[in-house]
Amino acid sequence: MATVSFQNIEKSFGQTKVIQGISFDIHEGEFMVLVGPSGCGKSTLLRMLAGLEEISSGTIAIDGRVVNDVESKDRDIAMVFQSYALYPHMTVGENMAFSLKLRNADPKIMAERVAHASKILNLDPYLARFPRELSGGQRQRVAMGRAIVRDPKVFLFDEPLSNLDAKLRVAMRAEIKALHQRLKTTTVYVTHDQVEAMTMADRIVVMHDGHIEQIGAPLDLYDHPDNLFVAQFIGSPAMNMLNGSVRHSNGAAQVEVPGGVMWPLPASTLADGHAVAYGIRPGDLRLAAPDAPGAVPAEIIVVEPTGAETELLIQAGADQLILVTHGRPQVNPGDRIGLTIDPVKAHVFDQRTGTRLVSN
Amino acid sequence: MSMNTWRRAGAEAKLLLVGIPVFIWTMLPIYHLALFAFSSKDEAMGGKLWPSHPTLHNFEVVFREQHHYLNHFWLQMWNSLFIAVTVGLLTLVVATCAAFAISRLKVRGGRMVMNLALFTYFIPAAFLAVPMYKTMGVYGLLNNQWALILAMTTIAAPYSIWVLKQASDKLPYELDEAAKMDGASPLQLFRLVYLPLMTPSLVAIGTYALLLAWNEYLYAFLLLSNDKDVTLGVALGSFLAADDSPWELLMTTGLIYALPPAAIYYTFKRYMVGGLTAGAVKS
Repeated sequence: MATVSFQNIEKSFGQTKVIQGISFDIHEGEFMVLVGPSGCGKSTLLRMLAGLEEISSGTIAIDGRVVNDVESKDRDIAMVFQSYALYPHMTVGENMAFSLKLRNADPKIMAERVAHASKILNLDPYLARFPRELSGGQRQRVAMGRAIVRDPKVFLFDEPLSNLDAKLRVAMRAEIKALHQRLKTTTVYVTHDQVEAMTMADRIVVMHDGHIEQIGAPLDLYDHPDNLFVAQFIGSPAMNMLNGSVRHSNGAAQVEVPGGVMWPLPASTLADGHAVAYGIRPGDLRLAAPDAPGAVPAEIIVVEPTGAETELLIQAGADQLILVTHGRPQVNPGDRIGLTIDPVKAHVFDQRTGTRLVSN
Repeated sequence: MSMNTWRRAGAEAKLLLVGIPVFIWTMLPIYHLALFAFSSKDEAMGGKLWPSHPTLHNFEVVFREQHHYLNHFWLQMWNSLFIAVTVGLLTLVVATCAAFAISRLKVRGGRMVMNLALFTYFIPAAFLAVPMYKTMGVYGLLNNQWALILAMTTIAAPYSIWVLKQASDKLPYELDEAAKMDGASPLQLFRLVYLPLMTPSLVAIGTYALLLAWNEYLYAFLLLSNDKDVTLGVALGSFLAADDSPWELLMTTGLIYALPPAAIYYTFKRYMVGGLTAGAVKS
């Protein structure tokens, strides 16, 4: 177990700066997920930690030791690659033992470690097989086994699940999380999938265009996104975002969006006319009668029942919104309905800067 | 028979129509070679399709070195083999290291070196023979088998580097990174990961260089002159010096000379399989 610290990390490829001064710390035993759209620099950051990419400026420290100029193999870290990168000419057992073999480890210890790892990952029956004889999920486990055998200070995962089919991905997600709970090794996990990030992470670093948008626990990011980017990136389906301006009338603050629809605001000191982006999570919208007091008049466009929950596409004024409910509402496309929202559940951002305006 | 079967039979017939003439065209010289080898001296030029009294006498003469052209048959056979195998191995060493450096270690300027090497192919090898002769003279290597070995390696290397570099490029780069993370030095990466995965290409290139050297005549003729140093190929050429050449012995020796490369090719062919990297990375 170890801590990892990034200080003012920058990375340029030629003239292009892909990481623009990033600093954060990872605690001992923490499962830290780096998430962001492709091209945000998350993989580059991980590769710099792995020692596969040079650091243009700044320092990376593992357990307090600056490792900028330390070779990968001497950083005491292990990495699981997106493509697995198994040695095709070696059996599963040889793949897992390879790093120990390179260190001239005692054959007895080597066998013990491999046995230990294969037991954790249920790979015992496959030790003598070659990677080409394994399924995608099994190969993924071998790649993890290769990392576990090392007993490293830090595990690095580079989008390890993106090559698996949806069902297997969910299963492996749980497996990796269980593995972390068992081994308690500090883990840095890169993904572009916010669901993976939300379900696995102790803390998430949301990255965008080479800088950090927000760091926090999954539910913190969900409940209190610092800015528009995080608000729209975290959560599935994504947050409904309406552009409008603040209106004060009769002592109550509201947001007026194009089409004249008024959405309730929590008590705030925002000036009249302030251009804001008004965000509502699909799960925070409530169905009501069309003439209910305070309800926004709307019309159902599409009904998508998935069994456990129902997703509704709704037209309100000029905007289309998504509503998710766990019930099975008796509505049909074309029905006139009303929408209500608890004002404290609304997320309000400055339209120009994208920063959060109202904290709740 | 259905329409489909007829169509398939038609396609097959078309292939045969092309295949049979090509087969005959290819085999005809070899057939003549064999015909001479199994005929007695009198019958050889008789124009028969098959000798009336097939004989192994010619082989006996060759193997026992019972003709003055064949005084050093076994030694020259050994020379050919030694030179060809050495060229094959040396080319492999040079080309593999170069391909690894260019493709995997991404050494600066590596691609330029490769292109420069390939540039030598713009000049026909025959034109390079004289400069090569001069160069070997400068190094005092004339009449030394190493002159031929070095010359043939020089000729075989650019193509070999190019082919191996292309093959290396197809190996997933993540394997190198994984090995690096596992603690492999570049040399360990080369030995434990790169070489095993390159085996099919290495066998193909080794065989190519070996056969190139085995069949070489011009350079062997130029760079070696002592009867005990020359390859069997050059020795065969000397048969043509006289008017009353023993054709049947020339053909017999030629047939024997063709056997080792065939054996080498078929021995190593089974290593030239693809799909060695299956399962390495998700494609």
